[in-house]
Amino acid sequence: MRVIIIGNGVAGVNVARAIADSGVADELIIYSCEKHNYYPRPRLIELLTGDLPPEAIAQYPDDWYQRRKIDVRLGCCVAAIDRDARRITLADGGHDTYDKLVLAIGAHSWVPPIAGAERQGVHTLRTVRDAETIGAQARKAENVVCIGGGLLGLDTSMALVRCGASPVILEALPWLMPRQLDREGAAVLQALIEARGAHVRVGVQVEEIIGDGRVRSVRLKSGEELPADLVVVSAGVRSNLLLAQQAGLSCNRGIIVNERMETDDPDIYAVGDCAEFKGMVWAIIPVALAQARVAAMQICGQGDGLYEGVVPSTTLKVTGIDLTSIGEVNPQEGMFVEKRYQNAAGSVYEKLVIRDRRIVGAILLGDRSDVRAVNQLISRGVDVAPYIDRLFTAGLSLADIVNAQ
Amino acid sequence: MAKWECLVCGYVYDPDEGDPDNGIEPGTAFEDLPDDWVCPECGAGKDMFEQMD
Repeated sequence: MRVIIIGNGVAGVNVARAIADSGVADELIIYSCEKHNYYPRPRLIELLTGDLPPEAIAQYPDDWYQRRKIDVRLGCCVAAIDRDARRITLADGGHDTYDKLVLAIGAHSWVPPIAGAERQGVHTLRTVRDAETIGAQARKAENVVCIGGGLLGLDTSMALVRCGASPVILEALPWLMPRQLDREGAAVLQALIEARGAHVRVGVQVEEIIGDGRVRSVRLKSGEELPADLVVVSAGVRSNLLLAQQAGLSCNRGIIVNERMETDDPDIYAVGDCAEFKGMVWAIIPVALAQARVAAMQICGQGDGLYEGVVPSTTLKVTGIDLTSIGEVNPQEGMFVEKRYQNAAGSVYEKLVIRDRRIVGAILLGDRSDVRAVNQLISRGVDVAPYIDRLFTAGLSLADIVNAQ
Repeated sequence: MAKWECLVCGYVYDPDEGDPDNGIEPGTAFEDLPDDWVCPECGAGKDMFEQMD
């Protein structure tokens, strides 16, 4: 069996690893547009700050692939898929054929339709090259504006602070990290971020990026103009779909897959940031890992592993701020109970969301000591109803509830 | 005791340090970590770790 994987990110390499370990494939080839061996994308933040030298970004040495008989072809983009012939066409005009094809083609940074977004000095952070460019410019920039106050935007902003900048963070929604935090938690986070040297503006919309060739300022809808010689846009990612669309595979926000990670061609799988399962594209590492495992199992015919979804969990990276957000943190519908705790100093905020006697969401900000207990309570579906009135009171820790099971 | 590296993100589990943030005492061998322990950096499971030389 000849298996081709397109993409060398966390989803692609983990499909390759599992297939290689099974020994089922005779030939296993990875094609990648990028020129580096697999590197963990979260580490781009450390590359940007200079904490990680460029040569240390790759997680795997060359022989990692060789030892597993994985033929990795770097800097080699795939341009088209011919499903009838089970053949791919490369950007350089070459061809290759497959028995099974895995699309692990990832996502790209999304830039909202802002006039002037094409000007020099406007960047997104997704690749090694982006990190190096932004880091170099930040060290000589006088005014830095970060558009987007989500997870990546805040991580990037804190990295820019480390480079000597005092970035202004602009978030269109009424609070920071709207997917992972509620309003109260976001206020605590904002104070922590500002104490570290960035400025936060929430509820502001960007009208235009102004300059001649190179960016000079950012104008808000209110008319206010913020000087800027470097703008970093962190407005989320969108799945890379072009290859799949051109091959006639069903796509929505991502390439649509079933619980076997199959696209609507049973010989073509999609995993990770490019795949949409039950209407969702999470674009986070734990999802990529789980999907990679399922796809590999299906391709190898070893067990009938099905993808059941994972509870999303995120942790802020280099800010020095401990923040964990798990599952449903802003419940909208149905019956639920919210339990909150905030310390007197305003540096710690915790919230649990409880539905049907079980914790379905949690925010743990400024303190990591409950992270493990909460993860266990959620993953084990522990009935917390008997404890609900005593949550966050002295004398009952969340670990006590875990231990009582 | 051996150190183990997360193959996904490069985090190194050092038994001498444990993972106190997640309730793992210093001195806990990798083999003795609970099955539901995950990489504190990226969320990968124990099966994604490899023993270091």
